[in-house]
Amino acid sequence: MMEVSSLTTFAFWLASAMTLGLAVVVVTQKDVFRAAIALAGSFLGVGILYFILSAEFVGVVQILVYVGAISVLMAFAVMFIQDIASGSRPSQGRVIGATAAALIFAALAFTAYNTEWSSIDDITDPVAVAAMTEGYVEVGTGDYALISGEAPTDSNEVVSENRGVLVDSTSALGVMLIREYMLAFEIIGLLLVAALIGGLLLMRNPPSSSKTEKGDASA
Amino acid sequence: MTIENVLLVSGALFAIGAYGVVSRRSLVTVIMSLELMFNGVVIAAVAFSRFTPAAALLNGDPLTAEAIRSALTGHAFAIFVTAVAAGEAALAFALVFAMYRASESVEITDAAEMKN
Repeated sequence: MMEVSSLTTFAFWLASAMTLGLAVVVVTQKDVFRAAIALAGSFLGVGILYFILSAEFVGVVQILVYVGAISVLMAFAVMFIQDIASGSRPSQGRVIGATAAALIFAALAFTAYNTEWSSIDDITDPVAVAAMTEGYVEVGTGDYALISGEAPTDSNEVVSENRGVLVDSTSALGVMLIREYMLAFEIIGLLLVAALIGGLLLMRNPPSSSKTEKGDASA
Repeated sequence: MTIENVLLVSGALFAIGAYGVVSRRSLVTVIMSLELMFNGVVIAAVAFSRFTPAAALLNGDPLTAEAIRSALTGHAFAIFVTAVAAGEAALAFALVFAMYRASESVEITDAAEMKN
């Protein structure tokens, strides 16, 4: 079994408690602005979790996109919509929702604990371990360059915690996005442009002024 | 910190988000809960990338750079899901504003009655 230091484990539970506690505040808080602030904190906790899981780039993206952009969008939405002061009232589906959420959680937890997950320790090829944890040499260039690497002489020292974890994950992820996932990457760009234009179109002043007058009269 | 613990946190976040989607009336809170659910899913993807070996590293073939990179598939998945969630949030808030302008309300029960 992989060894993880107790400090990492402590940090993991701390970040998890922050994430889940603030998430509970988001779904129970009546004041929507406070819920938005709690949501930003919950996103930050998830970002810390990514760092603990050695996904640095994903963690940075999480903080930039979620904490930096989406949370600000939420705060703007709360400020724009005036009658939010009346609060976010619970709907009639609260009991059904709680039951469904408990069932979903029970099913996921049962699956997590009753599945024999393959372990990262199954990587036995010493070159693979060396390539992940140490510097490695690409023989030739291009998509399918062969890896050559010497297994670290004192392999016990290198492994334990970071065994099977790619050390330089950011540059490898960058190469991966523009080689293996080129098409998906381009489509995501197209999707974001479409979402941007769609958002602008929806937010435009309504073409017929009669509709807004009706809205004002009823207000 | 084992994969079971991380998946437990991921599942808990997803369940909390699901509860929020069903139990709140304000559309703004519903969208916030949706984002929580997205985050729960992405935590699971990153956890699998961290704790389980990539298939290309186990089959004993000569090692390629592509095989090493395939250990990061979960990270690539996380980036794509984040991008989709960001686009979704922007579009969803545009819809909420449009609805607010039309009916002066952001409650789901009112949205159900809006036929025009």
